Amino acid sequence: MKLAKRMLFNKRGSLIGAVLAVTIGILVIHVNFVIFQGLFDAIVRDISEYRNGDVLVTNEDDYIDKSDSTIVRFFERISYVEAATPRLSSTAEMEITKNGKLIEKTRIPVVGVDPFTDIRASTVYETVTEGTYVFSRNSIVLGNTVANDLGGAVVGDNVKVMIIDRWGEEQTKRFTVSGIAKSPGGQGFDYSAVMHIDTLRDMTDRVDQTGSIMVKLNDPSKAFEVKEFFLASFPNDDFLAETIEESAEQQLAGFRSGIAMINMIGYFGMMSSAFAIVTIQMMLVNGKTKEIGVMRAIGAKRKDILIIFIFQGMLIGAIGAGVGTATGLGYTIYAKETKMSFNNSLPLEVSYNWEKIIQTALASFVLAIIASLYPSYRATKLLPVEAMRTG
Amino acid sequence: MKALDNVSFSIEQGEVVLIVGSSGSGKSTLLNMIGLLDSPTNGNIFIDEVNTTTLNDDQISSFRNKKLGFIFQFSNLLTDLSVLENILLPIQIAGSNLTSEQDAINLLKAVGLETQIHKRANKISGGQSQRVAIARGLINKPSIVLADEPTGNLDSVTSKIIVDLMKSMAKKLNQTFVIVTHDRQHFGEVDKVITIKDGKAFQGEEPSTMEITA
Repeated sequence: MKLAKRMLFNKRGSLIGAVLAVTIGILVIHVNFVIFQGLFDAIVRDISEYRNGDVLVTNEDDYIDKSDSTIVRFFERISYVEAATPRLSSTAEMEITKNGKLIEKTRIPVVGVDPFTDIRASTVYETVTEGTYVFSRNSIVLGNTVANDLGGAVVGDNVKVMIIDRWGEEQTKRFTVSGIAKSPGGQGFDYSAVMHIDTLRDMTDRVDQTGSIMVKLNDPSKAFEVKEFFLASFPNDDFLAETIEESAEQQLAGFRSGIAMINMIGYFGMMSSAFAIVTIQMMLVNGKTKEIGVMRAIGAKRKDILIIFIFQGMLIGAIGAGVGTATGLGYTIYAKETKMSFNNSLPLEVSYNWEKIIQTALASFVLAIIASLYPSYRATKLLPVEAMRTG
Repeated sequence: MKALDNVSFSIEQGEVVLIVGSSGSGKSTLLNMIGLLDSPTNGNIFIDEVNTTTLNDDQISSFRNKKLGFIFQFSNLLTDLSVLENILLPIQIAGSNLTSEQDAINLLKAVGLETQIHKRANKISGGQSQRVAIARGLINKPSIVLADEPTGNLDSVTSKIIVDLMKSMAKKLNQTFVIVTHDRQHFGEVDKVITIKDGKAFQGEEPSTMEITA
């Protein structure tokens, strides 16, 4: 073992090359994970924070008829639940006039919220970059894009909103713009308008009806339990309840396959580093042909030679896995501490996935050993006399 | 064409035997066969009453390790190891505890290199390397030490030192040495000379008169 170590460490160039190959393989996987898993988690986070919560309750009949306060109170009695809030959605036509002159008209989705519970269950209010969140029945928050579409609506402007109610009648109401919302990454309500839920209920004539209940948990890992408990508690109300993974499945499926592809690229990178190890170890074997011949001549068995080079593979794997993991963790810490963002917009949700970190390090280590098998086998096939003559 | 043909001779314990002959005569091939580095297409080689031609690869390695010592023309020390580690290498390969580091140091003293113990093998001179190779060849107390042109790469003064050292070690340890050389004159008086000519072995230095029964 000492000899294997010396042989390897005395060939510093080869050692550094092999370790670098493993390190880069691991680093690619870590960087991929930080960026793409971080992006995926950031999208999940935003969908959860802005729209679906950790558990989203809807009804088979499109609208929930049970009193929203009853459902909210039910949830808020569960220890895992942080808050719950009702939401109602519709579509509206919106126009803005200035000095009696129509500036712009646009058709947009509108969301009705309960301002008192919404700020506890959602962080949409934090996306209001100008003005304030919905605070009264005639205030409205416009998404940044909507504000632009309306010719540059600003806080304090009056907008006319037309909604077709459940009976097909057009209902019109004037609102004062209380805030403009802009979310990093655009997962918030940048393309919508937010108003008081009771106002939207009035306009759509859906008094006491709710579109969904968004439930925020203090421990998101309990989402399934909470969902099941809720459904079991209201067996006859035709409720549907979904965890964030279920409710956002359609939006996330594409990202998931994208991440799987990126991971594949990472693993191919790791495979490339294995080929680099094979090449470097072949160079080591070729460079030590004479020594192998001498060792065989003085009594080393084929398996002794095999062990020497496999041990070298283990050393390369261990050092490479150590350096690669340390570098990868360094990058992850940097990304987390600097709140790295995607495209200077969406802050990545950087996490330490220890299972994946250990798995990657172990995979690299094992791959380095596997990569050293062929060169080691070649070394055992050298005949002592030939090796000493040609080495 | 046969490199060696109908070769038969025996060597007694403690003898210093020279194998001489012109270049390409087959003397190194003969030494490689005695050293189990090569195998004859026909015939047997007995060492310590073991028919070595019947051994498998692992047994051959083990036999080489325990019963044979090697000294090569270019010493062939492992440059990654120190002088002491080179000498201890056959013991480490054997995984044996029978010979201690102290034995290796004693051998180094015997070959006059006690001050070079921890030097890297590539940091010592050619003559010193060959002395280390002699110590390495002797560390496992082998039945035979096989030396292939041990002075072939040395100047005449150093060659004389190496020859004297081998002869004195042979006498002191009752150690058998089989030495291939083309520098016959360096070795002076030895116990036996085997001359190889055209693949045939003759005992003594005059092929016409020294042929032994094959």
